Amino acid sequence: MTKALALINDKRVRDWIYQLALVAGLVVLTIYFVRNASQNMVKAGIASGFDFLWRTSGIDVPFVLTSYTQADNILSLFWAGVANTMLVTVIAIVLATLLGFVLGIARLSSHWLLSTLAGAYIEFVRNIPLLFFVLFWYFGVIAALPAPLDSLSVFGIAFLNNRGLTIPLPDAPANFRWAVAAILLAWLAQWLVAFWARRRKERTGRDAPVLAIGLVLVILVPILAITWASLATRWDIPILRGFNYRGGFVVIPEFVALLAALVTYTAGFIAEIVRGGIQAVPHGQTEAASALGLRRGQILRFVTIPQALRVMMPPMTNQYLNVLKNSSFGAAIAYPDVVSLFMGSALNNTGQAIEIIAMTLAVYLVIGLAVSALMNWYNARIALVTR
Amino acid sequence: MKTTILAAAALAASASLASAQQLAPSPTLDAIKARGNIECGVHLGLPGFSFANDKGEWTGLDVDYCKALAAAVLGDATKVKFTPTSVQQRWPILQSGQVDLLSRNSTITFSRNATLGLNFQGINFYEGQTFIVRKKANAKTAADLDGASVCVAAGSTEEKNAADWFRERNLKVTITNFQKNDDAITAYDSGRCDAYTAGVGALAGQRVKLKVPDEHIILTQPISNDPQGPVTRWGDERWQLIVRWVLNGTIAAEALGITSANVDEMKANSKNTEVRRLLGAEGGFGAMLGLPDDWMYKVIKQVGNYGESFERTVGMGSTLKLERGQNQLWTKGGLLFTPPFQ
Repeated sequence: MTKALALINDKRVRDWIYQLALVAGLVVLTIYFVRNASQNMVKAGIASGFDFLWRTSGIDVPFVLTSYTQADNILSLFWAGVANTMLVTVIAIVLATLLGFVLGIARLSSHWLLSTLAGAYIEFVRNIPLLFFVLFWYFGVIAALPAPLDSLSVFGIAFLNNRGLTIPLPDAPANFRWAVAAILLAWLAQWLVAFWARRRKERTGRDAPVLAIGLVLVILVPILAITWASLATRWDIPILRGFNYRGGFVVIPEFVALLAALVTYTAGFIAEIVRGGIQAVPHGQTEAASALGLRRGQILRFVTIPQALRVMMPPMTNQYLNVLKNSSFGAAIAYPDVVSLFMGSALNNTGQAIEIIAMTLAVYLVIGLAVSALMNWYNARIALVTR
Repeated sequence: MKTTILAAAALAASASLASAQQLAPSPTLDAIKARGNIECGVHLGLPGFSFANDKGEWTGLDVDYCKALAAAVLGDATKVKFTPTSVQQRWPILQSGQVDLLSRNSTITFSRNATLGLNFQGINFYEGQTFIVRKKANAKTAADLDGASVCVAAGSTEEKNAADWFRERNLKVTITNFQKNDDAITAYDSGRCDAYTAGVGALAGQRVKLKVPDEHIILTQPISNDPQGPVTRWGDERWQLIVRWVLNGTIAAEALGITSANVDEMKANSKNTEVRRLLGAEGGFGAMLGLPDDWMYKVIKQVGNYGESFERTVGMGSTLKLERGQNQLWTKGGLLFTPPFQ
């Protein structure tokens, strides 16, 4: 009796009981909702289940990275949408981070005009809804670009018009696969050389020509590989026929507009995070570093930014997740992301609302959790280690 | 135990025998009578079919049908609450019971009927899908659109039809899917696409919204057939009967020569038994549906017959100026045909 009482009074045991009760409650609730929904659907004559995923989709997608065609099934359509969402998200995150850093540092600059301009931009962006940006870029970009007949030509091989940017596409990608493999190998070799050189320096104190070898491996090899692959491949160069250019790969204006909107919008928020992070580093650190004789660039690189990163990481994770979620705004301008293709076209063709919305939710959840896990791992790695 | 079940069954059987004279219950009809209006799901805004003017008054062929239903059920054509629905929202809104029926440009298809818990109660508009293009593009038929970029509403039957039609003919078009018809037509107008595709009626309605309507033509050759009409959800058979026979009634009225102008005179003097049954002068047909016997009289008096509604909303008396064509009575070379009121 007293033993059981002691167990109940143990905080850890109690916590476990609460957790289990919560999980059990959630499971029961979920089962209840699923059963309720499926029973009601049967009553209303609505088909349910995931069999529809193997039906032929019949939907033409103007911008695919996967091998999807309209003869494939709805599951392939789903993956095509997920790939498009991922593409725009990843590129937007990289570009927004770069632009955000520049803006954030510009805002802290002692140059009055620079910091005022950056500040004005940030305040402007942060107080305007994203949808406005998306529509502005879309209808702005399109209105500004000429019709296919008056396309802007780039050396006669790429063409820019209001249907997008048409670029040459290699007929056979095999050569490029070899090139990419060679580049990856070279980068791996560079990493091994650098590793070996560092170990040797720690052991013997002697320097190795790391920089020269690195330059060859990291820059020269890729240039050679790409040049070789380009020359060895027949190119499908777009030509004007009828309504538009045929052949090549088309970067659709919807992609450009959505990317531009996401980057310009998110950069405003990232700039604030960067500013906050840098200002969080006590001024004494800068003074101490400068007393040691470090130059301004060195202070920023070795003292300020590493400490600022610790402050910036958690809010940055939020912004990256926002980019992922905000990419769904592409549906407003017909960018074929997972929301537009799957929750739009596929949902309407099949009417399987519950299944399709659940799958779309799962996509965002899985990618979101993966992004935040990656960021948390990085955050833990750079966290202050106290002894 | 067994005896109680048997007794209960016997009781239920006798109760059902006793009430055999009564109509099957219609929860939808009861709810409509209790709330005093019909909830009708319509298109977001398609001139000629369902369009709210600047005073917020809804007009159009599909809207007229909702009004006819209100006149039949509640005796007053104005007792309709219109719920604008997008291509994406329409089925869930009907399935979940937020509206009593849909009366909006939606093609009747096999898979919608078989898997979505929907029933189609007849056809109030026959049309085919075609394209609107700029005159200067010099396209005469859909086949001339090879290489073109086509804007369409995502999830519509048009999206799949167009993709299939061009693929079967080995023609390459780029189809850009917008979430709403209006977004697609705006993109077409801004030059993003060479063509916009929808049913011919919808195109005629959308053309009015373009910046310079005269610069565009609608290709005459259709690539599909798209019958459209009021949609109900599964269950509530009596409600479905009412929806179906009000539509039949408006078409029959035109065939019988009953118009909003002569309906009083016809009701008083006509010797034609079908006219008399339709207008409630004999036969008690309204009561069979659980409605007043003058249900169709009120419809025709307040909204008019099918032909009057057509002329006013999409026909020659409207901005759309569509020919009757397939939507003419079968006796005059069209496809409209109703079972007799017998």
